[in-house]
Amino acid sequence: MSDLPIVVFPIKNVGLSKSESKIVEKLVEAAKSIAPIYQKQENQKFPGANFYPHDATAEEILVAAKSNPEILSPYTIVERNKTGKLVSVPYHIKFKKDLEKTSSLLREAAKITENKEFARRLYLQADALTDGSYEISDMYWITMKPYKIDIVIGPLDKLDDRLLFKKTSFEAWVGIIDEERTKKAKIIQQTIYDVRRKIFTLTEKADFLDKTQLRVDKTLIFSGLFARGMFTSNSLPVDPNLMEKYGIEITFFDTSLDIKFESQHYPIYKVIFESKFQKDYSKDLLREGSFRNVLLHEIGHSLLRYKDSERRLKELFPVIDELSATIYGIKSCGSLVLKGIMSEKELEAIMIMFICRAFTWWIDSKKQKSVEPYAVGHAIALNHFLANGALKEAGGISWPNFNKMFLGIEELSDALEALISMGTYADAQQVIDKYGSFVVYSKFASRLRGLG
Amino acid sequence: MPFMAKKFILTKEGLMQIKTEYDQLTNVKRPQITQRIQIAREFGDLAENSEYDAAKEEQSLLETRIALLEDVLSRAQIIEQAKKTDFVVIGSTVVVEMNDEVHKFTIVGSMEADPALKKISNESPVGKALLGLQAGETIEVSVGPVRSKIKVLEIQ
Repeated sequence: MSDLPIVVFPIKNVGLSKSESKIVEKLVEAAKSIAPIYQKQENQKFPGANFYPHDATAEEILVAAKSNPEILSPYTIVERNKTGKLVSVPYHIKFKKDLEKTSSLLREAAKITENKEFARRLYLQADALTDGSYEISDMYWITMKPYKIDIVIGPLDKLDDRLLFKKTSFEAWVGIIDEERTKKAKIIQQTIYDVRRKIFTLTEKADFLDKTQLRVDKTLIFSGLFARGMFTSNSLPVDPNLMEKYGIEITFFDTSLDIKFESQHYPIYKVIFESKFQKDYSKDLLREGSFRNVLLHEIGHSLLRYKDSERRLKELFPVIDELSATIYGIKSCGSLVLKGIMSEKELEAIMIMFICRAFTWWIDSKKQKSVEPYAVGHAIALNHFLANGALKEAGGISWPNFNKMFLGIEELSDALEALISMGTYADAQQVIDKYGSFVVYSKFASRLRGLG
Repeated sequence: MPFMAKKFILTKEGLMQIKTEYDQLTNVKRPQITQRIQIAREFGDLAENSEYDAAKEEQSLLETRIALLEDVLSRAQIIEQAKKTDFVVIGSTVVVEMNDEVHKFTIVGSMEADPALKKISNESPVGKALLGLQAGETIEVSVGPVRSKIKVLEIQ
């Protein structure tokens, strides 16, 4: 099959023993084996990808789900039977043949490992793929003691379902923990978590901060949706009720982040900012700024989980959710700067990289519709910065005013948090209509040619 | 006006930690790295010798750290453990309100600052601003784009 969604990263010297290397080989094979399943799910032409019949409307699906709730399950595909009625087929049945191969590779890896907890993790994951017991497997993974080797594999993110934001896509990654980077990231995370917020907290807010695990990985492979989106981080699970019960695991993909920085964030920086302005910021400072954007995004996510947001905001949820997480994370840096934990220059580098990442999402969204919510979300922020005078553009050159930009971030953060905690679908639509225009990106299009 | 060297403010415990680190680096690490360099030299051709390069780089970092610690030790000013006072001093643990958030941390000398342990340097913007304040007092602090009113809620 052509254009298989697999990205193998050329990583060396990850400090594995011979037996660990064998385990990793099996896991990488397992990750590769789910790529054809994702290929069957993806379809850029339809908002519902291949999760639903292409002639079915959202209304028809929602009506059918009233008598058969499994139609909206994250783990079923919806088809028409011979009479034209909508029916659901669980993934583990629909893709049985492919998943048996994946499952068998996971079992082979489990037999090799000397770490009993990790072996159990792999056996549970193998079971989940063939019998649909995803929750048991995911919860064991989240609550187990972190192990140097990590694999996540199965139907996880809902970004491809732009019709109803219900169905999960198959994806996988394999990584090796980077202890030093993990330790540094945890300091920023803990410093932000330690702050006790005075604001009124809704009962719908999911509280799980004491059960949050974080790791920075050297990634070896992406498969499925991850390979298409080339994501730089992930938080699992996605269901706030499960988060509250078991906690979350946040993973940063150092390898893909570095590739994105070198191939997109930094080249974008070089073409959209005025050359005199660039002299004040070293490449290493900006690289760290790029990493911290991702780190702050995931920290923001963990602080802004409300159980009913998805229900209220429907398919607009990911736009508001992804933007509010990053903006809240950057806002939190204010106290780090005042406490001397982060320098003013480092905060500026974070804001610069926020802008460059916005353009990256826009470029990526032209090829991959699943990342469009990120592009729309970041457009809201850029348009807000233009409106408050933080950004000025003439002939495609930006002159950021960091004072105004940080003020804009604080304003946006408050507005987005209100939206995600208690806003309605109409409220979200209004914000997107007012600020979500891609014109802000296309103004810079001529400078960005060749960076796709 | 004669140049006045900056003092490094340390608690007794902080000074002990620095002395211990200094002894470890000078008595254990330094001989180890010297030996590594000697062995690497024996591998031959220094231009293509990655072990030699790595050892030399480590030596450079080690000597920088030793020099810093010597500087700190020569200019250390020991402060007593903070007793309960009515105003913020180095060593005070404070509870403050910043931008509708409540923060709790201890103000320490810059060498002992450790965000993982909620120890904030007396030279940080917040540290500088809080020293001498009493519970109930408010002060405004700004660094570049970040500005905040800080109210002292409690001094522990």
